[in-house]
Amino acid sequence: MSFLSKFKGGASTSTPANASSAGKKDPHTTPATPLEKHLRDVAGPLRTDGSDKFFGFENYGSTCYSNSIVQCLYYSAPFRSHVINFPPSEYLPKPPSANDRPVAPRSTSAIPWPNLTSPARKVPPVPGTPAAAGQKEETKDSPEYRKRMALQAGPVLDMIHDNSNRYGMEESLFTGLKDIFEAILTNSSRMGVVSPHKFLEILRRENEMFRSAMHQDAHEFLNLLLNEVVENVEAFSKQHPPINGVAHANGAPVENGLARKETATNGIDTRWVHDLFEGLLTSETRCLTCENTSQRDEPFLDLSVDLAAHTSVTSCLRKFSAEEMLCERNKFHCDNCGGLQEAEKRMKIKRLPRVLALHLKRFKYTEDLQRLQKLFHRVVYPFYLRLFNTSDDAEDPDRLYELYAVVVHIGGGPYHGHYVSIIKTQDRGWLLFDDELVEPVDKSYVLNFFGGEPIPGLQDAKQLACAYVLFYQETTLEAMLKEQEMEGQKPVPTRTSEGEVAKDVGLNNLRNGVTAHPPAVATPIIPDETDGLESLAHAVTMPSVAAPAVQAPLEPTQTTPAEGLAATNKSWKERRLEAKEKKAAAKAAEKELDEKRKEASAKRVEAWKKADAELKSAIEASKMSAVDEASKRGDEVPKGLAENTAPPGGGLSRFRTTSLNLKNKPKFLSGKDRGPASMEKLPSVRQEVGGQQAVDGNGVADAGELSPATTPEMKSPPVTTPMSPDSARSPMSPDSASKRYRFSIRKKESQGVT
Amino acid sequence: MFVLPPPPKYGNAGAPGALLETNNLLEHPTGPEFQLVVGEGTYTLTDELLLATPPPHPSDAPQPNNNPLATTIGPQSAGTKLSLATLSPSRWPTHRQSRGHGAWHPIPPSIQEEAQSPRGDAAPPANGGLFGSATYYSSTVGFGESNPALQVVAAPVKGNKKDQKLKPKNNIIKSNSSYVSRVIPHDNLPKRLAEHSPDGLYAFANINRAFVWLDLSAEAKTENMTKVLFTKAHVLCHDVNAWTKSGSHLDIVMGFNTGDVIWYEPMSQKYARLNKNGAINASPIQCIAWLPHKENLFIAAHTDGTLVVYDKDKEDTAFTPEDGLPTDHAHVDGGQKPAFRIQKSVQSPNQKSNPVAAWSVSNMRINGIAFAPDGQSLAVVCEDGTLTILDYINERVIGVYRSYYGAMLCVTWSPDGRYVLTGGQDDLVSIWSLVDQALVARCVGHESWVTDVKFDPWRCDERNYRFGSIGEDCRLLLWDFSVGMLRRPNVRNRGSFSTHVSANRKESANTVNRIRSNSSREPADGVEIKGDGEVVHAVDSKATVAVLPPVMSKSVDEHPLCWLGFEEKCILASCKDGNNARLAGVCIVC
Repeated sequence: MSFLSKFKGGASTSTPANASSAGKKDPHTTPATPLEKHLRDVAGPLRTDGSDKFFGFENYGSTCYSNSIVQCLYYSAPFRSHVINFPPSEYLPKPPSANDRPVAPRSTSAIPWPNLTSPARKVPPVPGTPAAAGQKEETKDSPEYRKRMALQAGPVLDMIHDNSNRYGMEESLFTGLKDIFEAILTNSSRMGVVSPHKFLEILRRENEMFRSAMHQDAHEFLNLLLNEVVENVEAFSKQHPPINGVAHANGAPVENGLARKETATNGIDTRWVHDLFEGLLTSETRCLTCENTSQRDEPFLDLSVDLAAHTSVTSCLRKFSAEEMLCERNKFHCDNCGGLQEAEKRMKIKRLPRVLALHLKRFKYTEDLQRLQKLFHRVVYPFYLRLFNTSDDAEDPDRLYELYAVVVHIGGGPYHGHYVSIIKTQDRGWLLFDDELVEPVDKSYVLNFFGGEPIPGLQDAKQLACAYVLFYQETTLEAMLKEQEMEGQKPVPTRTSEGEVAKDVGLNNLRNGVTAHPPAVATPIIPDETDGLESLAHAVTMPSVAAPAVQAPLEPTQTTPAEGLAATNKSWKERRLEAKEKKAAAKAAEKELDEKRKEASAKRVEAWKKADAELKSAIEASKMSAVDEASKRGDEVPKGLAENTAPPGGGLSRFRTTSLNLKNKPKFLSGKDRGPASMEKLPSVRQEVGGQQAVDGNGVADAGELSPATTPEMKSPPVTTPMSPDSARSPMSPDSASKRYRFSIRKKESQGVT
Repeated sequence: MFVLPPPPKYGNAGAPGALLETNNLLEHPTGPEFQLVVGEGTYTLTDELLLATPPPHPSDAPQPNNNPLATTIGPQSAGTKLSLATLSPSRWPTHRQSRGHGAWHPIPPSIQEEAQSPRGDAAPPANGGLFGSATYYSSTVGFGESNPALQVVAAPVKGNKKDQKLKPKNNIIKSNSSYVSRVIPHDNLPKRLAEHSPDGLYAFANINRAFVWLDLSAEAKTENMTKVLFTKAHVLCHDVNAWTKSGSHLDIVMGFNTGDVIWYEPMSQKYARLNKNGAINASPIQCIAWLPHKENLFIAAHTDGTLVVYDKDKEDTAFTPEDGLPTDHAHVDGGQKPAFRIQKSVQSPNQKSNPVAAWSVSNMRINGIAFAPDGQSLAVVCEDGTLTILDYINERVIGVYRSYYGAMLCVTWSPDGRYVLTGGQDDLVSIWSLVDQALVARCVGHESWVTDVKFDPWRCDERNYRFGSIGEDCRLLLWDFSVGMLRRPNVRNRGSFSTHVSANRKESANTVNRIRSNSSREPADGVEIKGDGEVVHAVDSKATVAVLPPVMSKSVDEHPLCWLGFEEKCILASCKDGNNARLAGVCIVC
């Protein structure tokens, strides 16, 4: 933390737009957004751990896969704090003295800036992109409009610089991520938009498969990002001799690649990604010929489970560990009897990860269609989870997990669509992160994405949105109880921007919410320090201890602790007193209680009155804002109509926007990063990868090579197979229907081969 | 196993502009896939009754939605549930020959007060038998009977007993309430009523905003006896009063998503509306049940975690909790379950109007309630993953048990009251022994959440139990467990605390005014015992609990199931498919 404060000032001034706070907005253009309303009751200084920052991420044209994943990682408190606190401060290069702008950033983004492909930036449609603009429905409620407003409202953190030299590291995805986290953390505003230029630039430079502006797979990205972070962190540790140890001369840049090794020798903790996300699978294979059982442990960073219709996540995990026959084309090479044999295989979890990233394999290769298809199977997921498929020797096999983030895929197929994430924040409940837009949602909203076969003809776009990656983090029963206790006391957030909804449901909620929770009562709790490292449960899953008292719904509650104590004392005494005294005490107590009750009811009445007044004023305000909106819409609707070439109500505007962006990508990629003319064509490498994965899936080798083995400089020639990167995910091996796990530490050596 | 998604079952019924099915359909699919093979024989699907789903009211028609992230939630609806009624005094448990084996011997009243009687579980049968009899109930102190304020009101009603029961005031057919949209009685209702055999089975079912009355024993099963359409409100739950039913009278209560309650007497087509516009509690009613052997009292479980006892004959008044103080705050800080709070005691002198009593059990949704066969305790399962056993007569908590993880969704009692079954989001059916205050076994076999669980009283005796469960996985599972089997060693080696009960309990058993008593009774080592002797049980590790496999597992529908019932001659299940223009299915397996 000390490290942070060192350049806190510097960082916050480096983005001049920051100064504008949430409250400073053009009053007639923007009525308070749902997020603003949601955060209105927050007072007190910003926390230093970043848990009370709510920033959207700008979409750079189909980069929602990155946005949704980065958000999920940011709200994992231990991950965030590790990113921020690495490298340890003693390893940091000396900060330049009293320099506001912290050294010249190593490099500045080569991507044209401001980003023109960002759908939300097209405030006046940029000439030359008429197609994209044409699709927009300019209503007040449209997500596009709200995203644009979010971007306008700012502050926008333009991440165009690379500060990696400040961390003494080579530029990498990790430093890009760290830059983003730092910028959010050090900004003085609670909400805003991050524009992750540099991060995406690094991503694209180093990873061929993400270079195109096509729709990418969020899970694939998660896996890549975690592996990259592991690598970057370990590379740093290799380069840096222990403070009082021997130099470990290795100046090789990260790009040269280093095989993954345990590098805890020099005292730098490099294992934190492993500690958080890594679990251990043990696969038992019993050869049916010689009855010999061989065991192998394999680490995983996330679990990919196959889906069946009408199942639960629990059942998918069970099936993942169900016994499986290795036969026919998929025989097992038995070392004992030598040669391919039929065998039984079973995979169980030996070490449970602290954060369980669960990938629901919704994109499946279908033989008859010769392509990937999205599975809309209804798969239910609970808020809390334990694993049944642990091995007998697993430590803490009954570990309790809580759902803290859901990445949702919206779209009819794997080749296009949109990703958003819904994340539980420390004490602000569940929020929806849709690129630039951050909005509070009701807890029940989280369970809207079970999926289910779309009903033909039913005009409900919600059918296309299904959970794709689930993040469960470890928690404790105590933490769970605490949270349940809080449940009833939290005001129910509503997305009032939904207009119509608000009237029926929202009003009710508002009424309930206001009576129960005078907004002024709540104060945020400032933790003494970021202790996410040690105790995940305490830092993340549990609303702070002081909270119930502060947020107590009914004013009488505040008197309770004392009263309760008194009562306890009383009863303790009572037992020792004569019957007479007992009676007297009881009477007194009754009286006291009666008075209290009266008082309480008086207070309640008062609160109701107050709430009523507030409600009235709220209605008034909403009427005002409605008038505002109406007048605003007045000048916007014609424009919207002019742009709207599509038949109204036919399909998803958002969905169209994102897929349309694919056509815009040449505009986006320019300069040295311009890819091959046809971006839809992917290098042959990807196919190889698919093949290798299949091998891996057969249980033969731990190849796990996911590395798109080209460096940007190599500019591999376009290959004509129009294969999506997604196809790599669902290998065509006969094993494709079976379960798969993945720990794809990329071995950079292999790059030379290509 | 991967199966391609089945084609939509009802053709283009769901397509826009397609005609909505307004008539119920009866199908008789045959084939091995519609048979359940169990030890005692084969059950074959005899009738699949598809109930017409009403279109949304014109004023409430859903708009085409182009925003996949829209937070618009339609009116809350529940799957189709059934309330069954046989008019003749049920022959169970004395005549169980048709499906049973051997005669039924009620277990003598034993150790636990709540383990006494073998009167069916929440299912309608059973005024017969010893413990179901009026004599039995008049000898024990019933709910609210010690409160003179309640007696005054109740007295005149009692005088009318059996001969002339009080009917609701308003005629539902001639109603001009905007709450009721339309009532469609059968053309020949009197004739059909006359034809109905006293042994025949009436069923009441909810399908979104419709409530239908069916005669399952008649030839014309598909013809509704009466269909009531409400304007916007959806019926979420309903119950028939098994105590007052007769050839000319059926007391039905329905709970709505608006919080309203309708007391409906179908024979005379009269109704009354309670908790109007949520005057007492505005949150939806998840389940509703008549108090055992009460003519006028029923209990509604609201989604805000409150249980409210209403009197069908009383008026509403705006309700302010008489004691809103969370009496147990200290314990809550210690990480215990949120306190059980009495918002209004049944002992309250103010009994002129509803509610008769109100208790806050949780601050999350209540998903299911079930009365013990002896009518002395009430099991409540909540979204927070707890099973709470309430001594509702004395308004106190006896025990709190937790799911392995996730919410509990359904609950039922064994016919002898010894065991409670729960099902939930952990895909498990859990068997709880109240005598031992312990988890007996976890039943593994569902592939998704368990939505309903019931005992088959015709196949239970004092040592062997048969029960069934259904879930979101569209499956019906049957299970057998026997007392002998449960004595497996690993069942006893539980790593949890649980057996501190009695001393405190007796002490407080008959306390009359217990508004504040919770916090005053904490024992010195009171970590696990909360005031009042309420015991909170820890979660057992999966390694220490016996696992029970099903005897039969079969997918019985293409849609998630939501309600299960065992009748003397059949098993019934209904499915959840209520939110689009399809038919909700009820399959009857005999």
